[in-house]
Amino acid sequence: MGGLQKKKYESGSATNYITRNKARKKLSLSLADFRRLCILKGIYPHEPKHKKKVNKGSTAPRTFYLLKDIRFLLHEPIVGKFREYKIFVRKLRKAYGKAEWGGVERLKENKPVYKLDHIIKERYPTFIDALRDVDDSLSMCFLFSTFARTGKCHVQTIQLCRRLSVEWMNYIISSRSLRKVFLSIKGIYYQAEVLGQTITWIIPYQFAHDHPTDVDYRVMATFTEFYTTLLGFVNFRLYQTLNLVYPPKLDGQGEISLKPEFEEDYALESESYTEKLSALSASLARMVPSAEEEETELDHFPIEGEDLEKMEVREKMEQEQIKQKKFFEGLKFFLNREVPRESLAFVIRCFGGEVSWDKSLCIGSTYDATDETITHHIVDRPSIDKQYINRYYIQPQWVYDSVNAKILLPVEEYFLGVTLPPHLSPFVEETEGDYVPPEKLKLMALQRGEKPQTEEDEEEEEEEEEEEDDEEDDQSEEEDEAEDEANLAEMEEKRSRGKSLSVKVTPGKAKAENRKRAAEEEKAEEKRLAIMMMKKREKYLYDKIMFGKKRNVREANKLAAKRKAHDDASKEDKKKKKKKC
Amino acid sequence: MAAARKHKRMAASQPGFLSFNSGLDGNSSDIKRRKRVNKNKKKNWNKYSDIQDVEEFLDDVRLQEKAAGGLIAEKPDASLFFVDTGEKNKETQPQTTVKKGKRSKPLRIDLILQPDSRIPAPKNVLAFQQPNAKKQRRMAEKAARLAAMGVLPRREKLLQLRRAAAASGLPVKETPVANNNPARAFYDLWSAGTPETADPYYLEQTKKKLVKRPDRLNEKPSVLPAIEVVGPGGSYNPDFFSHQDLLREAHEVEVKKLKAEERLARQLAVKEDIATEESSFKEQVEGLIEEGDVEPEEPEGGSEDTVIGPTATQEKKTEKQRRKEKAQRIKELRRKAERQMIDKQQQLFQLRSIRANLKTQEQRTKQRQAQRKANQEAQKSMPRRLGRLKFQAPDLDVQLSHELAGSLRGLKPEGSILKDRFMSLQKRNLIEPRERAKFKRKYKVKYTEKRAFREIV
Repeated sequence: MGGLQKKKYESGSATNYITRNKARKKLSLSLADFRRLCILKGIYPHEPKHKKKVNKGSTAPRTFYLLKDIRFLLHEPIVGKFREYKIFVRKLRKAYGKAEWGGVERLKENKPVYKLDHIIKERYPTFIDALRDVDDSLSMCFLFSTFARTGKCHVQTIQLCRRLSVEWMNYIISSRSLRKVFLSIKGIYYQAEVLGQTITWIIPYQFAHDHPTDVDYRVMATFTEFYTTLLGFVNFRLYQTLNLVYPPKLDGQGEISLKPEFEEDYALESESYTEKLSALSASLARMVPSAEEEETELDHFPIEGEDLEKMEVREKMEQEQIKQKKFFEGLKFFLNREVPRESLAFVIRCFGGEVSWDKSLCIGSTYDATDETITHHIVDRPSIDKQYINRYYIQPQWVYDSVNAKILLPVEEYFLGVTLPPHLSPFVEETEGDYVPPEKLKLMALQRGEKPQTEEDEEEEEEEEEEEDDEEDDQSEEEDEAEDEANLAEMEEKRSRGKSLSVKVTPGKAKAENRKRAAEEEKAEEKRLAIMMMKKREKYLYDKIMFGKKRNVREANKLAAKRKAHDDASKEDKKKKKKKC
Repeated sequence: MAAARKHKRMAASQPGFLSFNSGLDGNSSDIKRRKRVNKNKKKNWNKYSDIQDVEEFLDDVRLQEKAAGGLIAEKPDASLFFVDTGEKNKETQPQTTVKKGKRSKPLRIDLILQPDSRIPAPKNVLAFQQPNAKKQRRMAEKAARLAAMGVLPRREKLLQLRRAAAASGLPVKETPVANNNPARAFYDLWSAGTPETADPYYLEQTKKKLVKRPDRLNEKPSVLPAIEVVGPGGSYNPDFFSHQDLLREAHEVEVKKLKAEERLARQLAVKEDIATEESSFKEQVEGLIEEGDVEPEEPEGGSEDTVIGPTATQEKKTEKQRRKEKAQRIKELRRKAERQMIDKQQQLFQLRSIRANLKTQEQRTKQRQAQRKANQEAQKSMPRRLGRLKFQAPDLDVQLSHELAGSLRGLKPEGSILKDRFMSLQKRNLIEPRERAKFKRKYKVKYTEKRAFREIV
């Protein structure tokens, strides 16, 4: 055979990959800068199929990048900016060290900055691409905008995030594109449909922050830097599509400038405009002032047969959607001060409702609590002193549940101080055969336009539910039984003894049982001894496990009892009502 | 030099020259006899040529210049001589001079310091010279020429622009704005601008057009969605069953963790044979007691080794044996071939079972293929191993039944969204899993009590 002997690791996967350190050296950047660059450019590490081959025979875990990706990075103009920035920092440090304040000022004036515009254009060649990927940036912006200005990240970043998130919310309000809201224990999930794309984002509850220590803030800040730029451009384009003025301007300046005295109390003059924007209570100005929102009608084409039917169905759907988009229209809400103002204002305004709050709570309130035309007063406390007759006092969950159901739910279940029905997740889509909670069934019936069932039926249903609950309890009890076998054995013995009293005693059987019982006792004793002999750490663990198990059981029982009590109470109420009727 | 010297000598021998020193005549040099030396070496020229006369003459010239401000021979007579007409009235002059002199007479020290040479000091060239005069002159000329043509210098232009801007109230040059400036402006990034008509190669080389991003990079490294919505059990006011589901899930995770922990503890548990006093004593004494017994054994072992060491040499096979073996081998081969033939013939009758076999085999491969494909599909949503650390799923955020708040007001949020986002980035293979760098102190901390403190205590 001719030819040279092939050397190892000179072709194939070994040459397709490059380790992180080598890549870093190739770009002559520090590790932090390299990380930043990779995040901004959207170049991610890669797990090779044959690690040992790539790693030249070593099995040490390393971070690999594709060599072609790194070669692509070499063309990036930002790399030069990073190097410039490094030099800038060095010069600045030197100037500080020499106490050359003039030099410091000059350097600061000429601080190198870079733009991410071209990167965004490159990563998202079309607007729709960008819109598809906006989930992440929304969540990050909303998250960063809630940060306290404590030096975990730049104050400017926080302000920019706030601005962008307010712009986004205003857009969603004016485009009426919110679809789902879900109050979870983590935060509030929102889902909107923007230009045909489903966009989900999460907003933390206010004042919910403790800064976790195991998060790399620098990485997060870099992501945010990229995402803010992306969101800014997306916002601009979205505002353009709706013919809105960007940066957003409030519509009808006169109305708001009526009450300047509170503004001064609330915010600095420089900030009051952005604050008013973020209050979400006023609509935005349009480029071309349109008298009324024209009803967009679908174009009609002469079609025959099946297509016609389809068209009709689609038209119906369209009309329904339009109706759903403004089902809060004509309602006037007032938010009490203990409810989450921003979230509720956002949701209510998204569906065309009018909303206001106490003027000492936040800027931008449009009417007082004493307004006679208010239809819904949202309260989240057990009772309220002064109540008006002509308005509903309801808990905030009503708004969210109504939005998810896309209809105005009956307010009775959400009255002041009433135990609320569960808040169901709108993100769950049940398939055939799944368990559907009764509340959801009821809701679906309501959506279909059926009237709430007659009370007897309901009661029957509830009884069924109870049975189900009982079954569930049984299940959980079974688990208990598995745990406390000894107890169960004793019970059985008692039972059997009770039986044996009535029947003649056969000595052989009794003995066997005795033996069994003795064995059981011995086992129990052994277990007890084993527990006593446990090491401290193991004992702690064991206690933890047992506690957890017992707790679960306890909770299950508690929940079951709660549910039962609630059902009973509600049933009694209904009976009383019936009697009254 | 030689020429100058010659010239001076010529001057000295000139008939009209008057010497200051009266003793300076041409005679003194003639008295000495000239020594004979080779003149073909420069050293000798210097050493043996007599330049005394020239030196003296030059000295005299310099002295005349210094004292009289030029050669006396060249001066007009009127400046050298005057006609003595006797004394003028002396009495009046001294009075006035004295009176005047007391005021204007310079100090003697200044007089001493004043140059007494009649030769004017040479002009300080540097004092009158301008650095880069030529260059500046040329530049000025050029500027004048350009100005005549109507082209202004850059500085002038910028100044005018700035003035115009200040007048109109618009900033001309945009100072670059930081990325995180809250007041930064955005524009329509995706608007179809004017298409570049220039040569693409030129644009690429001048870095006006960036290198095209490979399409491969626009694929996401994981199929997971950016926002994973928690299950219905994570609601702030959940349905009972979904909440129980969530709790069970969390419980299972916890149980798994505990099991792993327990297993580790079991594996690391210390075995029963812990050293007792007796065993430790034995260990200490071990070599000492048995030494006597071991020693006699050693020669025995050595002898054994010698016996075992060399292996027995094999006898050579005879011709007959070889022949027999060969025949045996051939026979065996033939038998095998025959067997194969028969088997093949027999397979004709086993067709059904063979077909069934094949079918099962095919089925198995198909199943495996499907399985593998499913695995690959599942792998797409799994976090990969991207670095030193493996991705560890964060704990499920759960509120136990008694922690659940009945109302939105009483809700205590669980978990941190920041951490959630960070973990999501890791889970989607966007960044490699990392842990916080451990703080390691280089030096031990030395605690000292301050004296003031010690005095009190």
